[in-house]
Amino acid sequence: MPREIITLQVGQCGNQIGMEFWKQLCLEHGISKEGILEDFATQGGDRKDVFFYQADDQHYIPRALLMDLEPRVINGIQNSEYRNLYNHENIFVSDHGGGAGNNWASGYHQGQKVEEDIMDMVDREADGSDSLEGFVLCHSIAGGTGSGMGSYLLETLNDRYSKKLVQTYSVFPNQMETSDVVVQPYNSLLTLKRLTLNADCVVVLDNTALNRIAVERLHLSNPTFAQTNSLVSTVMSASTTTLRYPGYMNNDLVGLLASLIPTPRCHFLMTGYTPLTVERQANVIRKTTVLDVMRRLLQTKNIMVSSYARTKEASQGKYISILNIIQGEVDPTQVHESLQRIRERKLVNFIEWGPASIQVALSRKSPYVQTAHRVSGLMLASHTSIRHLFSKCLSQYEKLRKKQAFLDNYRKFPMFEDNDLSEFDESREIIESLVDEYKACESPDYIKWGMEDPDGAMSAEGNATGTLDPKLAL
Amino acid sequence: MADQLQTLDLVKELVYRLVVPSDRNSAEQNQPPDLEKPLKYAIRILNSRMTPSVAADESAIVESIKRLLVNEGKSSDALTFADMYMKLSMKSGAGTIKNRWAVLYLLKVISEDCRKEKSSHLYTSTSSNGLPLLTNETDNLRFFKSQKTIDSKGKGGILMVSKDPESIREIAIREFADLVTEETEVPEDALVRDVLFACQGIDGKYVKFDSHLDGYALSDSLIVPRATRIMVRKLCELGWLFRKVKNYIFESMEQFPAEDVGTVGQAFCAALQDELSDYYKLLAVLETQSLHPIPLVSEMASSGHSGNYLSLRRLAVWFAEPMVRMRLMAVLVDSCRVLRGGAMAGAIHVHAQHGDPMIQDFMRRLLRRVCSPLFEMVRSWVLEGELDDIFAEFFVVGQPVKAESLWQEGYRLHGGMLPNFISQSLAQRILRTGKSINFLRVCCEDQGWAEAASEAAAAAGTTTMRGGLGYGETDALETLVSEAAKRIDKHLMDVIFKRYKFREHCLAIKRYLLLGQGDFVQYLMDIVGPELSEPANTISSFKLAGLLESAIRSSNAQYDDPDVLDRLRVKMMPHGAGDRGWDVFSLEYSARVPLNTIFTESIMARYLRIFNFLWKLRRVEHALIGAWKIMKPNFISSALFATKDGSSVMSQFVWISRRCQVLWNEMNHFVTNLQYYIMFEVLEVSWSQFLEEMDAARDLDDLLAAHEKYLNAILEKSLLGEASLHISKVLFVLFDLILRFHGLVDRLYEGIRELQSSLWKNDSRGRSKSKLKSNNEVSKSGQLIGEGRKALTKFAGEFRKKMGEELDKIAKDYSSSLGRFLAELPVQLNVDLKFLLFRLDFTEFYSRLWAM
Repeated sequence: MPREIITLQVGQCGNQIGMEFWKQLCLEHGISKEGILEDFATQGGDRKDVFFYQADDQHYIPRALLMDLEPRVINGIQNSEYRNLYNHENIFVSDHGGGAGNNWASGYHQGQKVEEDIMDMVDREADGSDSLEGFVLCHSIAGGTGSGMGSYLLETLNDRYSKKLVQTYSVFPNQMETSDVVVQPYNSLLTLKRLTLNADCVVVLDNTALNRIAVERLHLSNPTFAQTNSLVSTVMSASTTTLRYPGYMNNDLVGLLASLIPTPRCHFLMTGYTPLTVERQANVIRKTTVLDVMRRLLQTKNIMVSSYARTKEASQGKYISILNIIQGEVDPTQVHESLQRIRERKLVNFIEWGPASIQVALSRKSPYVQTAHRVSGLMLASHTSIRHLFSKCLSQYEKLRKKQAFLDNYRKFPMFEDNDLSEFDESREIIESLVDEYKACESPDYIKWGMEDPDGAMSAEGNATGTLDPKLAL
Repeated sequence: MADQLQTLDLVKELVYRLVVPSDRNSAEQNQPPDLEKPLKYAIRILNSRMTPSVAADESAIVESIKRLLVNEGKSSDALTFADMYMKLSMKSGAGTIKNRWAVLYLLKVISEDCRKEKSSHLYTSTSSNGLPLLTNETDNLRFFKSQKTIDSKGKGGILMVSKDPESIREIAIREFADLVTEETEVPEDALVRDVLFACQGIDGKYVKFDSHLDGYALSDSLIVPRATRIMVRKLCELGWLFRKVKNYIFESMEQFPAEDVGTVGQAFCAALQDELSDYYKLLAVLETQSLHPIPLVSEMASSGHSGNYLSLRRLAVWFAEPMVRMRLMAVLVDSCRVLRGGAMAGAIHVHAQHGDPMIQDFMRRLLRRVCSPLFEMVRSWVLEGELDDIFAEFFVVGQPVKAESLWQEGYRLHGGMLPNFISQSLAQRILRTGKSINFLRVCCEDQGWAEAASEAAAAAGTTTMRGGLGYGETDALETLVSEAAKRIDKHLMDVIFKRYKFREHCLAIKRYLLLGQGDFVQYLMDIVGPELSEPANTISSFKLAGLLESAIRSSNAQYDDPDVLDRLRVKMMPHGAGDRGWDVFSLEYSARVPLNTIFTESIMARYLRIFNFLWKLRRVEHALIGAWKIMKPNFISSALFATKDGSSVMSQFVWISRRCQVLWNEMNHFVTNLQYYIMFEVLEVSWSQFLEEMDAARDLDDLLAAHEKYLNAILEKSLLGEASLHISKVLFVLFDLILRFHGLVDRLYEGIRELQSSLWKNDSRGRSKSKLKSNNEVSKSGQLIGEGRKALTKFAGEFRKKMGEELDKIAKDYSSSLGRFLAELPVQLNVDLKFLLFRLDFTEFYSRLWAM
C-alpha cells in the first residue's frame, strides 16, 4: 500500500513540465532512461512505488498519463531518450490531432468527447494501485488543452474519485508581456473556477515569476521554456521528497497538504526554492545553513508567484501556513535555532485568527544526484497575497469581457450555445468570492466573515443564488 | 635426685677410701671428723662451676704436668705419667673418660693445692689433713692409688686463698654465688631450659602454664628472686604468643575440610607455619646452647670470654626479634580469626603499614603468601573469567542468573571481601573485565576473548600462568587489569556492534517502536485501525500479527534486515472490560541474548510506554487527517455547498463548517507541532547524542549508561516522566477531545450529505412532477414539496443546533484543556519543553489570547 499518486499531464505545457518532473525523479531514484534501476542505485530507503510501478521485467514505469489534443509534444517525448520509460497505453493523443486552438471551450468539449477513453486509462491505473492516494494534474491554465481538457478532467475526477486527493501544478501565464494567446484571460478564469471547486490543492507556478527568477536569480537574459521548466520540475520533485523518502512525518500527500490547507477554499499554494541552479550553469556556491535557507525562502524574490499587490496591500498579506522541506544533511537542533531567529526578527506575518507556525520537514537528499549545496529548501506556503494574482486575472478578464472580444470562439461550443455566457459570470463570482475569502483571512475575524448572523441564514430561505459566497447567501 | 644421691654416696665412698688408709697410719680415733672435711672439700670441688682461666688444651696440661714432675726431679714419675697418659688417651669406647683435659687439670690443681699446703701456714688449719690426693675417677683409681702412694707424703687440703689479694674478689664472688645458690631453689640453667620449653608451648619443670594468669609463670611456691621471676614471665610471653599462633594454625587445619577456612586462610596458616619453622630452628639452636653450663660470674670474669651457654638474660636478647614477630603473628591471628578471604588479606594489609623495616619485611613476606590465592583469583577472573572461589573469599561474587540479567545481576562486588590495597575503581574494573569475559562466553558464545586475554597478558608482561602476581605488585596488577579490561572491553564492544549489530537494532527500535519509519506506521495504522476499534477481547492477536506482516511487506520496511523484521511482534497488553483495541495494542521488539542485557524487560517496558504515547499521537493525527479528508476542499466546495438548489438549507451549515475548520486548524496545529517537537527536539536530538555516546563508549557499562540516558531523555521530554504526570494527563484529555472532534465531524458531514441527497431527491421529484404541468397536481405537489422542504429545513435546523452545541462543548473543553496544558508547560522541569511551548505559540496567538 504505497499510497500511489497518478500523474496526469495534460496539454503542451503539462507534458513538458511533466517530462521534466519524471526526468528528475528518475535521476533521484537512480532509474535509467529505459526505466531500469541503475547498478549504483543500491542505497535503499527511497520509496519508488509511490510514483512508479514495476513491470514484469522489473523495469520501472511512471504512474503517468500523457494526454494532449495535438501530437507535437507527445511525439517529441516518444522520440526522445525517454520513450521507453512510459507505458504506451497511457499516452492519449486526440485522433484528429488538431489541438484545442487555445480555446478553453474546445478543450473542455473535446475532453467531454473522449471522456470514456481517458477515464478508462485513469481507471486502469487506479485499479493497478493498492491504495490510491490521489491525482496530480500538470497543466497550464492559459492554453486550450491544459485548461479546457484539464478542467473537464478535474470535474470528472471529483465526481468519480471524490475521496481521492486532487492536486494540480498549474502554470499561470506570463501576464507581464503580451501573450500570443489573446483569450488567455477567458481560459484562465474558466479554469480557475475548476481549480477552486474541484481541486484539493493547487500549486501555483507563475510564469511571470519563473521568468523573473530566471532573469534575476539565475542571470539568464532570455530564459527558455526548458530552463523555466527545469525550475518547475525542481519544485515538483522537491515537494514530493517526503513522500519518496519516508521519515517520521509527512509521509503521505494528505498529511502534507492537510496542515497547509486549514481552510478548504484557500488551497492555492505558493512555492519557493533555494538555492536555485539551472543545468549547465556554474552558480556561485552559497553558504547554506538551515537558517540561511529558511530565511531566503521567505524572501519574495525567491517565491515563484508574482505579487501584483501594491505595497500597502502587500504589507497586509499574511501566511496562512508554511511548510519548509529541507533536504540534505541537517542537524535537527539547527531547525529550532533557525525558527527562533525567524521569530525574533519577525520575518513572517501569520494569520491572527488561529495558531500557526512554520513547519519544517527534514528530508533526505537523493544520494545519486550531486549538488554543490549541502542544504536546499523548498517552501510550500499558503499566503493571502495570492489573491492579487486572481484579481489580476479578473481584471484582465473584465477588460476583455467589456469589449465582448473573442467570445465567438466560445459560442461555438455547447456550453456557451445561444450566447449563454453564464458560465463566465459564475466563474467570475466564484473567483471574486475566493479573493474575498483570502482577504478575510488577513483579518483576525475570519471566523465571523460573512456570518454576522448565523441564525439569520435560516430565515434566508429562498434567497438562493451562488451559495459559494456566503455573503450572497444571506 | 636419686642420681645426685648416688653421686654423693660415691664421693663419700671415694673420700673414705682415700682418707682412711692414711689415717690408719697415724691415728685411728679421730677418723669420723677427719672424714668430714675432705668430703666437704670434694663436694665443693665437684660443685664448683668456675671455669679454669686457662684454655682447655689437653696437651698443654699434659706437658705442664710432665714439666712439673721433671722440675721436681722426679723424672721417673714423669715417664710413668707419660706412659699412663698414653694408656689413658689410647682408651676409647664406652666408659672412657671424655673430658680428659678436665681430669688432668683437676689432678694438677689438687696436686698444686697439696704443694701449696706444704709450703703454707695453712697446712694445719681448717683444711687439716684433707685429701692427700684426691680423685673422683673411679676407673683410674688404681693408677691414682699408685700415684698417690708415690705422692703420699703430701697431705691434701682445701684451697683457701683468703689472704691472697688476687683471690679476694674470687672469694667474694664465690660467696655471692653461694648466696645465690642458697636463695635460689632452682638453678638458672634449669630455668633457661624451662623457658625454652615454655616457648615451645610445653610446660617445664618449674615454668608452667597458668591458666589463671593466662601465661607461663614460675609457680609461686618456688623460691626465686623477684627479678628472675619477672624475667621468666617476660620471656615466657613468647611461649604464650606461640601457643596462640600454634593453636590457631592447629584449629584452622583441623577444621579445614569441614569448615571453609578458605584458600587465603590456608595460605595464611602455611605462611605462619613457615615463620614458626624458623622459630623452631632458633629454639633448637638455643636448646643446644642451654646444655652448656652457666659459668659462675667469677669464672666469666676470670676467663674473660663468654661461652655458648644460655642465661635468662641472654635469652632475652635472643628472643627480642622473634618476640616482635610472634607478637605480630599473634595480633594477626587475633584479627583474622573470624575473617576470611579478601577480608583477611585486607586485615593483614592494615598491619603492614608500618615504619619498621623489619616488620615491613616480615609483613610483605607474609602478605605475598597470603595474597597469592587472591591474586590468582584475580588473574583467572580477569584473563579467563573463571570464578574458582569455592570458599567465597573473592571480592567478586557470582550468582546464578538468567543469561539476560547476567551483566546486571550476575556478578557484584563484595565490599567486605575487598582488601583495601585494591582500590574501589580497580575492583570495579576487575569486576567488569571478568564479567565481560563471562558475558562473552555465556551470552555471546564468543571465543575470541581468549585471544584478547592472552594479548592483554602479554602486554602486561605477566604470564598467564599461575602465580604470576603477588602482593606489593599492585602496579603490575593494575597494568594487567587495565590491559585486560582494555582488550576484553574492546573485543566485547566489537562483538556487540559487529556481530550482534547493536547499532542496527537500536535504529530498528527507533524506526519501529519509536515510529521513525513513517510509511510503515501509516500502513499499520490504516489496516490495523478498523480492527482496533473493536472491543479488546474480541481482537485476535493472530490476525493483528498478519496485519503487521502485511504492513511490513507493503512499506519500505520490507527492505530491512529479515532478522530485524523477525523480531518485530504484536503485543497485546492485558486488557480490562470495556477496553478497545487501541488501548491494548502495541508493538514489541524481541532483543534476544545477548542484547537483552541492554534491552531488558524493564527497558522494553519503557520503550513500550513511549510507543504507546507515540502511537496515540499518531492515532490522533490520523483522526485529524481523517477529519480533514471529510472536509477536504473539493468535497466542501463542490459537492456540498456549490449546488444551486437547497442552498438555503445548506448555507446554515457553512458557518458551523467554518467553525469546524478553525477548530480543526487549532487542533492540527497542536498535534503537528507536538509531533515536530517530538521528532526534532526529542527523538532526533536524543538519537544523535546517543550515537555520539555510543561511539565513545568503551565498555558495556558505558553503553548501558548511554542507552539509559537516551531512553530517559525521550521519556522525560515526551512528558512521560514522573514529574510530568499531571501535564500528560491534560495531554491525554486533549487527545480524547480531538478523537471526539473527529467523531463529530464524521457525523456532521454525514448528516450534511444526507440532507443534501434528500434535497436532491426532493428537487428532482419536484421537477419531475412539475413537468406534468397538471394544475391540480401542481398545487398538490407544490404543497408536498413545500412540506418536504419545511420538514427538511426544520430537521436541518435541529441537526445544526445539536451539532453546534456539541461542537461548542468540544471547543470549550478543548480551549480550557489547551490553556491548562500551555500554562503548565513553562513550569516543567525539563528545559526542552520550552521548545514545545515556543512551537505551539509561534505566532504568539495564545499569548495574545490570554492577554485579552
